[in-house]
Amino acid sequence: MSIDTFPFPAIVGQEELKLALLLNAVNPRVEGVLIRGEKGTAKSTAVRALAALLPEIEVLEGCFFSLGTEETDGFCKGCRLCEGRRPAVRRPVQVVTLPLNATEDRVVGGIDFEKTIRTGQRKILPGLLARCNHGILYVDEVNLLDDHIVDIILSAAASGVNTIEREGVSFSHPAHFILIGTMNPEEGEIRPQFLDRFGLCVEVKAEKDRRARVITMERRDAFDENPSDYVNRFDSEVRTLRERILRARLLLSKVLISGHLRVLIGEVCAEARVAGHRADLVMEQAARALTAFSERTEVTKEDILRVAHMVLLHRQREASPPQAQDKEEEENHGRPHDRNRPEETDQEKNKKPEQKSGPAPAPKSRENEGNNTCEKPVENPEKNKESETPVNPETLQKIFEVGATFRVKPFSMTKDRVFRRGSGRRSRSRVNGLNGRYVMSTLPRGSTDVALDATLRAAAPHQRGRRSACAIAIEPQDIRIKIRERRLGNFLLFVVDASGSMGARGRMVATKGAIMSLLLDAYQKRDKVAMISFNKAEAKLALPPTSSIDIAARMLTELPVGGRTPLNSALVKTGDLLRSQFVRDPTSRPIVVLITDGRSNVSLNRGKPMDECIEIAHHLGPDKRVRFIVVDTEEQGLVRFGMAGKIAEALGARYFQTEGLKADTLVGLVKQE
Amino acid sequence: MSHQSIYPFAAIVGQEKMKLALYLNLINPTISGVLIRGEKGTAKSTAVRALADILPEIEVIEGCPFQLAPDDGVGLCRECFRLDCREKRLGGDKTEGIFRRHIRVVELPVGATEDRVVGTLNLEHAIKKGEKQIEPGLLAAAHRGILYVDEVNLLDDHVVDILLDAAAMGFNTIEREGVSFSHPARFVLVGTMNPEEGELRPQLLDRFGLSVHVEGIMDRNDRVEVMERRVAFDEDSTGFAARWAKKSRELSDRIEIARRLYPKVVIERDQLFNIADFCLEVGVDGHRGDIIMMKAAKALAAFSQREKVEKSDIETAAEMALPHRMRRRPLMEIGDNAKKIKEFRREAE
Repeated sequence: MSIDTFPFPAIVGQEELKLALLLNAVNPRVEGVLIRGEKGTAKSTAVRALAALLPEIEVLEGCFFSLGTEETDGFCKGCRLCEGRRPAVRRPVQVVTLPLNATEDRVVGGIDFEKTIRTGQRKILPGLLARCNHGILYVDEVNLLDDHIVDIILSAAASGVNTIEREGVSFSHPAHFILIGTMNPEEGEIRPQFLDRFGLCVEVKAEKDRRARVITMERRDAFDENPSDYVNRFDSEVRTLRERILRARLLLSKVLISGHLRVLIGEVCAEARVAGHRADLVMEQAARALTAFSERTEVTKEDILRVAHMVLLHRQREASPPQAQDKEEEENHGRPHDRNRPEETDQEKNKKPEQKSGPAPAPKSRENEGNNTCEKPVENPEKNKESETPVNPETLQKIFEVGATFRVKPFSMTKDRVFRRGSGRRSRSRVNGLNGRYVMSTLPRGSTDVALDATLRAAAPHQRGRRSACAIAIEPQDIRIKIRERRLGNFLLFVVDASGSMGARGRMVATKGAIMSLLLDAYQKRDKVAMISFNKAEAKLALPPTSSIDIAARMLTELPVGGRTPLNSALVKTGDLLRSQFVRDPTSRPIVVLITDGRSNVSLNRGKPMDECIEIAHHLGPDKRVRFIVVDTEEQGLVRFGMAGKIAEALGARYFQTEGLKADTLVGLVKQE
Repeated sequence: MSHQSIYPFAAIVGQEKMKLALYLNLINPTISGVLIRGEKGTAKSTAVRALADILPEIEVIEGCPFQLAPDDGVGLCRECFRLDCREKRLGGDKTEGIFRRHIRVVELPVGATEDRVVGTLNLEHAIKKGEKQIEPGLLAAAHRGILYVDEVNLLDDHVVDILLDAAAMGFNTIEREGVSFSHPARFVLVGTMNPEEGELRPQLLDRFGLSVHVEGIMDRNDRVEVMERRVAFDEDSTGFAARWAKKSRELSDRIEIARRLYPKVVIERDQLFNIADFCLEVGVDGHRGDIIMMKAAKALAAFSQREKVEKSDIETAAEMALPHRMRRRPLMEIGDNAKKIKEFRREAE
């Protein structure tokens, strides 16, 4: 491709990133690098620029697998792709891009229908894994890659061999490649198994230095204005760097590492409590690459310490989450506060006496927030009148702020064979629309979604015996259809108790924090959410099903608390909403999270509220399509009613008691079987 | 779509910010797009469709499925399926079959399937001839043009992934259904959305160079004007377009002048420092914010037919380039950011 890429030496800063890439260029046994970081930090630019720096290797001319002369003997006998022995040629190490749209047949390889028709013999069309042998496999946005493709790459990377076993061909070839991936952690993480395959990992951030930022702007502008000129300007620098890499490669075999430094590596890895031994091996190789790159032959302690961080970053157990948790918490405390401030001034006249009597605002203390500083009257003038009557907690409505959020452990429905509609990222499912990602093909099963490529490949070997007006005769037994896969977002329904009893002792603050955490998780998974809140006389649909998590978050922040507990009405409403949800999408599998202390005290008819409540729960419970989770917010103490537990039993729900809804308990809650 | 049915761009009342953002992208396509956020019925889609009216012209090879310019390299042609054109190009004949046309607005419908977006195996050719041939997708059609996504926030998740991939790389790689091919895909990404329907993923958000928020017009005279023009257009679209033809011409001339002026526009180092400081202060992710802000400021100067960037250019550029880039938790509102930027500006003064 003759597209000009931004030259490597022109990238400002990002030393860690550049070093990691260079080490890989020097020593393939460093096993790749994963580049994590925010958007717009030259991640992809650097990788593409690397291609221009790569040294040459010796390969057989025209070999699909980039084999060197010394590897041919065993392999070439079985391979009929090229006839006879080929001369060796030199060409640069290749960077093969794996696009997100790749289908299985192109990654693994398969039958080449064009050649097969022409020759009548089954000919193989090697896939990307063949092309990247002795090269670099580069995946941009690697965390968005389809699971199915990830599996293929993992098995090839683990064994160093790729096996094509499809469409009547059976073939294996070597597949030794370096994996380079870029990702933005905001979009979700990648599987630990896959993570471990990357030798190094670097986190990139934008430059904080203003000079560097200005230079970045100038260079980018100059490049965009005239790419080829700009590339020429850096030509000599690129060449110097390339020569240095080549020298380092030659030097690599002479680099020695002393025994006590090996011990040091072991110690460093043990201290970081990494899983497995790959870290140790990679660290040694990376240190040697660094030594060779510095044109020395003896590994030093400094070399090891320089690369240790890159090796360990993604392998440490309980690695710290990418975002600073504290900062997030602070923002959480600050934001809703600000948003409510205008109301405060509006209501100053009404509220002043009460606010003055409370202790001074102490933003760090959860207790205080719950009880004093965060209580806000609602705008509705009618309710203000109520709030003036001094002690009537049952009718007073308050808004509590959102408590601290936390990371939610993954939970999803198990994958099954039911075909579904929808889009999202929580649960993986086969889909029957035309919209999923085409991952593989199969024999027809009542679908009209013909996989043309697979059909042609199936028909190709039989062309000799068939006659047709077209170049290729297809018979019914050749037909293949597409299997598409996509992740489905789930439907999360929050049923939130907003009665007065929830307001006590900061419970609502913690509850809101918990829901917000689930919302943040739902955002990454592209879930749909809805919310029913209940207080005073009846339950209301506070938020109709939506995929706009932002609106849900705003709703939550402004959710007022106070009044009685019409739990029964809420359950009926839940039933209604689920029913309409099933009408719209019969295959959906909603998750209902009921957060309450269970003290139902408003009945729909005349009966006892509690009995009625259990009865309704018994009605809802048997529906196997719905999963219920009950979070009991009742305080532990001498007097406990345990009503929420009974409701959970009637619903067949997973039941959780929470003392003030601590973060780790809720993590346990959402972690499903 | 017949030409007559397009509402003339110049006849759109108000919404100056949105129009300006679109002009800037025409002046410098590497600004890489604009996201138009706003309520329904605020001429979002009308404006983008009407762009066709004022678009500048480019030179392309006739019938080229990849919209190549005559002096582009022939690397891609080597694998192209249009045999006679390929022969000519590889033979060094670069003069024939060149024509000028307006740059294109390619619409990506929300329901588009993946294979139509990236390109796929040409079905007809495969069956008739038994040969593999690529059928280019929308990304190929949008090269050097505008890719327009209406209701971009409703786009299927995996199509978004593909867009991210292509927009980041500047070219599209097809590795599917037995075909393996890659072609350049540099386009201006224009999206419209109604934030009530859900937000965009931050990663995609960042690919839009600028973002503008549009609202219904509050001035009653203007509202009347909107109605009158709309009625006039519906009654007699050809006549209406003819009446506005002169205005449209003026506009496209002005953009053409600005396009030519752009390379001459200078921005001083101090001003670049201002931009860097500003971006550091409001906290944007990465460097794209800085770069887009600089380009937008230069384009603004060019649009005002100046060769020097002024302070006001930088300020306007900040308002368009930063609100959707400021570091925020996923659930923070973009509207809040716009306010914050204004506050910063006031403090600076």
